[in-house]
Amino acid sequence: MTNRKILLTEDEMPRQWYNILADIKLNPPLGPDGNPIKPEDLAPVFPMKLIEQEVSTQRWIDIPDAVQSVYRIWRPSPLVRALSLEKVLDTPARIYFKNESVSPPGSHKPNTAVPQAYYNKISGIERMTTETGAGQWGCALSFACSQFGLECKVFMVRVSFDQKPYRKSMMEVWNGRCVASPSNETRAGREILAKFPDTPGSLGIAISEAIEAAVSDPSGKTRYSLGSVLNHVMLHQTIIGLEAKLQLAKVGDYPDVIIGCAGGGSNFAGLAFPFVLDKINGKAIEIYPVEPAACPTLTKAPFVYDHGDTAGYTPLLPMHSLGHSFMPPPLHAGGLRYHGMAPTVSQLVDEGLLTPKSVNQLESYAAGITLARSEGIIPAPETTHALATVIEEAQKAKEEGREKVILFNWSGHGLLDLGAYDKFLAGQLSNFELPEGVIAESEKVFAHYPKPAHLKRG
Amino acid sequence: MDRRWDDCERRCPRLGGPVTFAYCRDHGGDRPGAPCGKLLDCWWERFDVAAYLQANLPAETVAKLLQREPRPKIHSLLEMIARARQDLDD
Repeated sequence: MTNRKILLTEDEMPRQWYNILADIKLNPPLGPDGNPIKPEDLAPVFPMKLIEQEVSTQRWIDIPDAVQSVYRIWRPSPLVRALSLEKVLDTPARIYFKNESVSPPGSHKPNTAVPQAYYNKISGIERMTTETGAGQWGCALSFACSQFGLECKVFMVRVSFDQKPYRKSMMEVWNGRCVASPSNETRAGREILAKFPDTPGSLGIAISEAIEAAVSDPSGKTRYSLGSVLNHVMLHQTIIGLEAKLQLAKVGDYPDVIIGCAGGGSNFAGLAFPFVLDKINGKAIEIYPVEPAACPTLTKAPFVYDHGDTAGYTPLLPMHSLGHSFMPPPLHAGGLRYHGMAPTVSQLVDEGLLTPKSVNQLESYAAGITLARSEGIIPAPETTHALATVIEEAQKAKEEGREKVILFNWSGHGLLDLGAYDKFLAGQLSNFELPEGVIAESEKVFAHYPKPAHLKRG
Repeated sequence: MDRRWDDCERRCPRLGGPVTFAYCRDHGGDRPGAPCGKLLDCWWERFDVAAYLQANLPAETVAKLLQREPRPKIHSLLEMIARARQDLDD
């Protein structure tokens, strides 16, 4: 019988993180004035050890014993052979996933929350502040702070605070203090509430509040923490990929394709960066960061003959189109939305080492349901983006008759995101309708074009 | 103001939950009333949001959104640190 789980003992857990900055050239971070950022610029919000990691080009960085000790609460995380999914898809592909949903907060986020809390603790810091959107990061930092006896204050965007009350409960169980943002606890929050008492808040406001709370502490014993994008966050997450390599070696396998969802980049980077190093050194691997698309074009736009270009030079082709004059922002040319993405991930895309993919919301949730019904775990919504691409790759392997090895990151569970699944199962996520008049407007563009026939097989 | 799209919903990649187009347009930015910087990224596939913004928001706001370059996170952090320190001095 084939084992589902490939486990490492606690003693086999990697003792160093991998720093990709040793192997790629990245433009140095510059301040808004165009000059290189100095450590003291960031010192009001981060402890020096994290600032050093942010700019370090040392390839391997030791994981402190105290961090390893907390990691061992849930690490090494299992590498799982997705046997049930393989069976459902009837694919020759061997599919593996790192199950990061087994951490106490239920996601990959504590991989960096724990070292961040640790480095603050040994720097004499007593309190940490942060912002959170969905609440995953706020939970992770609350958990990490509780492990090191730090206070934690989380500014949670009001709209999410109201949508996800159990996230606040989790934070408070771990002794974190979760306040809805804007709050009366900062000057920035008070000014906004005075003018807009009913505002639902935004991530930008919550970050401002968290930074103000750290910077304005007269004792100097409060610092801020960020759970994505920055280099030191990516560094800490590489424990995922480093473990996966050891686990795959145990069963004599190596991935042909690596897939992770890419929001801020951290769970993707965590799995992929150690394999990017292999790719840099000549291994043939496809590495896909996957991000959400909202594209309803195929299902909602009229099926017409249209030009493939805005100028109308290309031949008329039958397609679902909102009109060739419809201009997506140029940022989408690469298929990956770069706003808010980790600079290291963007750099690797630019170098051609990663191939960005995007999937739409319905494909994602459908994949999430398929995985939940085969592998059993209900995935977090962001994880489902990767899952849709996994299914696509497994089906491609079947068509090609190839025993491809696919590795992906199951970045978290979705047990506190069930509202989204309710909507999907009730068909409410597919009920986006182009408002009346828009299709008619689109069709005006095509008024003098030939109409394609709706051909069917057989 | 054209409100046809206001109630359309999608999952916000930053907040991790459902938001309406009206939220993104009116509340998603750094202050109430300011649109989210990812507004175009998130909605362009649904409808011609660039044309919508040009017809419904002040020209200066639209120009900022349309010309928005990916901005390093570290820049916004430094700005917020400077702002918080300035407020403290005041």
